[in-house]
Amino acid sequence: MDWSVSTGVSPTAALSADRIPTYSVGELNAAVGSLLERGFAPRFLVEASVSRPQLKKGHLWLTLTDGDASITGVVWASRLKQLSHHPQDGDGVTVVGKLNFWIARASLSVQVLDIRPSLTTVLRQFEQVRDRLLEEGVIDPARRRPLPLRPAVVVILTSVPSSALADMLRTARERWPMTRLLLVPIPVQGAVAERIRGVLSALAMRHEHLQLEALVLARGGGSREDLAVFDDEGLCRDLAVFPVPVITGLGHEDDLTVADLVADHRAATPTAALAALLPDRQTVERDLQRRRERLRDLPSWRLARERQRLLDRRRLLEQQAPTARLPRLRQELQQKRLLLQALSPERWLQRGLALVNDASGAAVTGISDVQPGDRLTVQLRDGLLDTRVDAIRPASDASTP
Amino acid sequence: MNDSESLQDRIKDWRKDASGLSYEEALQALDLILAELQDDAVPMAELQRHVLHGQVYLDHCESLLKTMEEAVVQLDPDTLEPSDDA
Repeated sequence: MDWSVSTGVSPTAALSADRIPTYSVGELNAAVGSLLERGFAPRFLVEASVSRPQLKKGHLWLTLTDGDASITGVVWASRLKQLSHHPQDGDGVTVVGKLNFWIARASLSVQVLDIRPSLTTVLRQFEQVRDRLLEEGVIDPARRRPLPLRPAVVVILTSVPSSALADMLRTARERWPMTRLLLVPIPVQGAVAERIRGVLSALAMRHEHLQLEALVLARGGGSREDLAVFDDEGLCRDLAVFPVPVITGLGHEDDLTVADLVADHRAATPTAALAALLPDRQTVERDLQRRRERLRDLPSWRLARERQRLLDRRRLLEQQAPTARLPRLRQELQQKRLLLQALSPERWLQRGLALVNDASGAAVTGISDVQPGDRLTVQLRDGLLDTRVDAIRPASDASTP
Repeated sequence: MNDSESLQDRIKDWRKDASGLSYEEALQALDLILAELQDDAVPMAELQRHVLHGQVYLDHCESLLKTMEEAVVQLDPDTLEPSDDA
């Protein structure tokens, strides 16, 4: 039967169905290699822990393990330079790799194309850097500077183009287009900490020349692992001493990086960063409107106050006018009259006592003022008696007739 | 009529001065006038003149608000000079 023709299978393969294949070592390794090449995914992700990483001739060799199983991995020197994360012993990582099979030794390894720290590794790095900077006082809420009220010039560090940038520009346009935005494109993923630090130091040196009033460091959403560069210790130290206030808007609302902690203001998102920094146009318009009303009202209030002052003075003046003084004097006089009446001897006369005056009209108060034969006037309640003194008796004789 | 003519000239001068001010500077000048008015520090005869002066600053602020345009300049990350593709 000639099924090899009908199926198109090569004569060698057809033979293998009938008998055990025979290879030289080279042929065997080549056959395994070709099988792997054809039958295995060209690229894959491996979740693993890194064990015993070591540099040999510029290449990084490491063991990828899950505790039980393990496989050798290698990062070629050319690739190593581009890695954002240099794995340490025990780091949890996600590796983008492909299989490498050396035919000569039939050795198998994972060729690492990219290696990213797993979330736990990123968070551990975050905690370590945060704790160190907290201890040194680099992270300190008391060091936070207030944001400028209406900044004239703001520099934005973010990736260009990006949706985060588009959002920020839109927010700036809506809120406060008067602020001049300087845009410095930076890479925000991978081993870019040094690159960003370079931009920061150049900006710090020229901030006066550029008249910078604030710096916005922004990056749109993504995974927490993508934000690992903002946990870089050196980068965060640079941010802490940047000469003008720093606002961060990194990732999603829940993401917190060390950069957020050293910043003068942490906004939840890039958009929120600009909203925090720029005044709101509508609020400003309302403020202006209030001033316009004050400018309109203040003169009339002033006039009202001056009118009141005049009125007060008029009242003072009126109190001094004769027409106002006369009744007051009259009233005082009347009061004195009443007092005088209360004190006059009239009321004694009413009760039956008498007043005695001599011829000259002086009041007689004792016998020493009088001689027998003197004419005295006795005043009673209802009239006068003209009398003559017949005899004078001192008080001790008065009782004897 | 001489007085009102000189007032017109004055307003013209004020406008010219205010036009060179930034929003912040004009606002500050306006607030100074408002404070003087509030404290009765302005002689009665000059009340109207102060109000008109304040209005000049106010108008300048409002016109700045109306005409303001967004200025975005992209800088080269290495040289910090404006880059061409901005």
